[in-house]
Amino acid sequence: MKNETHFDPDADLIVVNATIRGPRGSTVVRMAIDTGSAATVIVPDVLDEIGYSARDGTARTSVTTAVGKEHGFLLKVAELEALGFTLPAFTVNVFELANRYGIEGLIGLNFLERFNYEIRSAEGHILVEKVAP
Amino acid sequence: MDAAERLAPVITGALTWPQICEQYPDQWVCVVDIQWAEPRMFHFRNARVVGHGTTRREPLVQARPWRDRYPEIGHFFTGKIIAPFPRFFA
Repeated sequence: MKNETHFDPDADLIVVNATIRGPRGSTVVRMAIDTGSAATVIVPDVLDEIGYSARDGTARTSVTTAVGKEHGFLLKVAELEALGFTLPAFTVNVFELANRYGIEGLIGLNFLERFNYEIRSAEGHILVEKVAP
Repeated sequence: MDAAERLAPVITGALTWPQICEQYPDQWVCVVDIQWAEPRMFHFRNARVVGHGTTRREPLVQARPWRDRYPEIGHFFTGKIIAPFPRFFA
């Protein structure tokens, strides 16, 4: 089964809606598809509101950027739903992204590698198919 | 308790995404009661705004009183989404 998810073809990035579920509720956010990122990234403010904190982190991480090395942490969220699929107990890298980008995170390869996907940029949609185990 | 938390909770009527962008330009908003035209569409048909501000955090704080009534809250930016961002993880 292929799920079709729509994005705004006029945006600078391929951005889709995603739902993050935690102990205090869920939040629908916008995340960029990023095949250049090994990890899925979510900003801390959003996770704080659904009941997570740095105390729930499982490991510290660092991110090398143009201005140096910045730190975040790994966290297992109850569920991450994106591209028509829900992944339970999914590990994300909690890391700050600047407000001005207008997104709450990146969908990285630790999510995408579980699927085959076809990005149809001009049409503004992405087709995603679960890989057989 | 900061200023955003002291404000009485406010909720708008149902607004379309273009209406929300017009009323809260280049802001972060929290919305509830989201009506999607179809699953996995990028834009929703309409929703009710329960928080807005220039930082990510402001609308999230304003939306707290609504969390019990609306277990799912949308958190979106009304301005243009731009690149770039950090790309390499170690």
